[in-house]
Amino acid sequence: MALISPTVLALRRDPRLLKLPPYLSALLILVGVVWLCLLPLNEYSRHTYISENALLPGQVHTYFGGSEQNVFNAYKYEVKELAGKPQDEISNKLGEIFKSAGLRSARQKYEYQAAGFTYTGENVYAILHAPRGDATEAIVLVAAWTNMDGELNQNGVALILELARYFKRWSLWSKDIIILITADSRAGPQAWVDAYHDEHIFPSVAPLPIKSGALQGVVVVDNALDHHFESIHIVYDGINGQLPNLDLFNTAVSVASGQLGMRVALQRMWKHDDSYRERLQTMLRGMVRQGFGHSSGPHSSFIPYHVDAITLQAVGEGGQDDMAMGRCIESIFRSLNNLLEHFHQSFFFYLLMQADRFVSIGTYLPSAMLVAVNFTIMAIALWIRSGRPPAPKLATTMPEKSSKPEVDVIQNDGMTAIVPKETITILERQMFVPVSLVVSLHFLGVISLFIFNNSAFETLPYYFLLFTMVNLVLPTALATFIHHQASLTPQQYLLFHSFSLLLLGMFLATLATLNFSLSLFVGLLSAPLSFIGNPFSGSVEPKDVFPSQLRKTASTIALQLVSPPVVVSAVCYFWGINIGEMLAEAAFGWKVNGLWTQVIVWCVWWPAWLAGSVLVSPAL
Amino acid sequence: MMVIDRRKALLFGSATALRLLLFFAFPSLPDLLTGRVEISTPVTSFKRLQEGLFLYTHNVSPYDGGVFHQAPLLLSLFALIPSSLFSPLTSLLYIALDLLCTNALIQIAESREAGSSRLFTSPRKELKWDSIAIGAAYLFNPFTIATCIGRPISVFTNCAILHAIAKAVSGKPMSSILALGLASYLSLYPILLLPPLILLCYDRQARDKKETPPISTFAIKYTSLFFATKVWFLYISNILTGGSWEFISSTYSVQLLLPDLTPNMGLWWYFFIEIFDSFREFFLGIFWLHLGGYVGGLCIRIRRQPLFIITTLLGIFAIFKPYPSLSDTSLYFAMLPLYRHLFPLMRYTFFALATILYATLLGPAFYYLWIYAGSGNANFFYAITLVWSLGLSEIVADSLFAVLRDEWEVERPEMKGKDVRQI
Repeated sequence: MALISPTVLALRRDPRLLKLPPYLSALLILVGVVWLCLLPLNEYSRHTYISENALLPGQVHTYFGGSEQNVFNAYKYEVKELAGKPQDEISNKLGEIFKSAGLRSARQKYEYQAAGFTYTGENVYAILHAPRGDATEAIVLVAAWTNMDGELNQNGVALILELARYFKRWSLWSKDIIILITADSRAGPQAWVDAYHDEHIFPSVAPLPIKSGALQGVVVVDNALDHHFESIHIVYDGINGQLPNLDLFNTAVSVASGQLGMRVALQRMWKHDDSYRERLQTMLRGMVRQGFGHSSGPHSSFIPYHVDAITLQAVGEGGQDDMAMGRCIESIFRSLNNLLEHFHQSFFFYLLMQADRFVSIGTYLPSAMLVAVNFTIMAIALWIRSGRPPAPKLATTMPEKSSKPEVDVIQNDGMTAIVPKETITILERQMFVPVSLVVSLHFLGVISLFIFNNSAFETLPYYFLLFTMVNLVLPTALATFIHHQASLTPQQYLLFHSFSLLLLGMFLATLATLNFSLSLFVGLLSAPLSFIGNPFSGSVEPKDVFPSQLRKTASTIALQLVSPPVVVSAVCYFWGINIGEMLAEAAFGWKVNGLWTQVIVWCVWWPAWLAGSVLVSPAL
Repeated sequence: MMVIDRRKALLFGSATALRLLLFFAFPSLPDLLTGRVEISTPVTSFKRLQEGLFLYTHNVSPYDGGVFHQAPLLLSLFALIPSSLFSPLTSLLYIALDLLCTNALIQIAESREAGSSRLFTSPRKELKWDSIAIGAAYLFNPFTIATCIGRPISVFTNCAILHAIAKAVSGKPMSSILALGLASYLSLYPILLLPPLILLCYDRQARDKKETPPISTFAIKYTSLFFATKVWFLYISNILTGGSWEFISSTYSVQLLLPDLTPNMGLWWYFFIEIFDSFREFFLGIFWLHLGGYVGGLCIRIRRQPLFIITTLLGIFAIFKPYPSLSDTSLYFAMLPLYRHLFPLMRYTFFALATILYATLLGPAFYYLWIYAGSGNANFFYAITLVWSLGLSEIVADSLFAVLRDEWEVERPEMKGKDVRQI
């Protein structure tokens, strides 16, 4: 300690050190991005592997086939007949089929309201009691009546009806099997899983009349094609970017491609040629989905309850028939049946770049953390800068003796240095105004959060338009207001900036552990906030702290380009989504699925952006 | 007639309004916060109090099951509240407790004890915050608000401690010691505050009166009073619980021996989960010795500023006591603003506060990953409690440095504004 402290003390005063932070911040952002781009390389990603030895995927012979085909065709015919019929009739018929297979079935009605729409339906499910189990654990086989695109999931529903009948004949199950047919792909599964855990909103969602044990795994079948399919598309993203255990995904991949020789696709990458480009694209698509955090299939609703779930979707036109899909599910269920403990061995945080390549959290987390840390570094730098006293007025034309800067003689273990006094004295900081400004800006976000989550579908686009307009002038208005009420001193200006960045860095670092992708995207979009004002100057003179008019205008325009409404519109334009639909989807996610991406947008990103914009907006 | 200060009334009014809003406009919030491990520990949890109360009102000994670890007096207090109005009235009770705390805090601030005690007057004592501002800093501290909404019984202890200090600085040693007796009756650890509190009482009395008894007689007198108070409280509790001494083992020995290892913000639970059973007693002794060890050292080194000893001890309790929670931190943060004049001497406030803020955000996130999402584990949360404790100890150590530096500059005025150097 005695050895380092003089060096550290001397370093602390080095003026070059105070110049460093902006460059360091920029470097961190750059490293963060480059890091991400390196991940698809062979050296940084890993082959997937099964961690949980009990799973033994693909080690059993599958018997589904043969005469099952005829029964399946009959069920398929029944399902087609029911299409478009009233819900009650569908439920009755499904209940009958379950009954004829010798299973106890039950129904659950639900009704949700979001963005002015009402989502109603009825889930039908049956429980196959394990011949060798004690009803403490269950695995779930799900098919939604209509899939995410709203098409009738005829083969999926027929297949699980047939599988229910087929599974009933086997005596080897040690976990209960729940066969669930939900009325749609988003609200139905949520209502069911909420009610299963007694977390449902009563009375709009009915409780479940019969239940089984703790859910160990969920497989969703989605096959709306009326021809043979080519490959299996595995969808695995949960609500809020949570992912199922990698072992479940690996089991499905290993069974489908290893045992049954089917092609496996993920993230809608139908043709994956294992090039760097394709890997990167797969990974980024996965990250975008994770960042949005919305429901991507019936399985998504299960994941927040710590129930690992995936959707198997039949895609393309090829040589695989429904019996192959059935065998695939049979084999996966045999593996799940082997589980001795809840999925825990493998990774919960991963990015997949191909069906058999992934990076785990330890490898990818630094990129988001580096981006988040850049804000903290700038916050610390601004804090230190805000504590420095203004330089003494030097008469430049007539150097006088009295105008010599005061100096201090500093001795450290025999070394002596003469340091201008201004670099070591620290001013008291006036923190009340900056702290209140930052806190109130963050609370301001709650208003938008409330409006966008509680408006009807028809009004949402108008609110968005209105918000975009207001957002254009709001920074200037606030800057003007602050200028007239309590004109910020250079120190308060720096502190305001510092606290805003500190909070942003803190939120993003926390978020990176929960939803890596969202944190990274918000971090990158907010990166300009680190460099507004005069970041490269260490002085606290008003002319160096407050940016010039030209700079203000340029920064305002730059910030407006990355403002939340502009980014949202750009994203919608790029993917060809209607803004109103997207907002309605978000409101639905908030009301039904417990999605909190909006909270990050309105209470973290937007306030940070607004604080930055207020700092650079010219006051009128 | 009492003259009500308008600013004080405004402060109390707005703080009450805010709490009422949180209690009644967000009815799920109190339950949510009551369940948070950061607020409710096994010995302070409001849920456990309700459970104990239920057993108590149904004539079953609440101390039988090993769930309830709180003092019997609280049971009889809460049993007085009619069950039909239980939740609104308890809300009002906790709001009232917060206001009482603030009132005591304002008294402490107005006594100016922080800036100049009997033996030491800080050269910076003019640099201070107004007592109302200090009260506001306590009442509007998010930690205090969260504690109030979460209703742990540690609020009672905090209130008793603050009143003990307030009485001590207003020269009423008798009531001060009684209040401390109540605090240590409710939860054991305030007993460690007895030595500095006696010093504080003695200093205040010696300053106000011409002739004073020697400190030894003073100390003996009030120590005996303290223990008499404790015995009296225990005796009443014995009567209240129907003549049984069962409550002692489930209240005080739980605090001493740490049988309940529910996670909390402290440093004990994880350590005692991991430790081999044969070392348990040894390390319990070490941990308690560590906690108690500060009392003697601080009383000797900063003898001249007893109020600061108490403040620092409160900070140390918030880090090192067996079941710490946010309410302990909020109590420490209530006392710190009294030392406004030391802030310019503190060196790492920004880093310490940033660390604490980081831990405040990451703690719940990691707890969520561990308990709900299942994707993290206990190490995640424990790591954050370490960071939290690091942030708090930075503040404790830094304020200690500042107070020593302040004293040193009085002794050696020529060193004012110069760097200290380790030799």
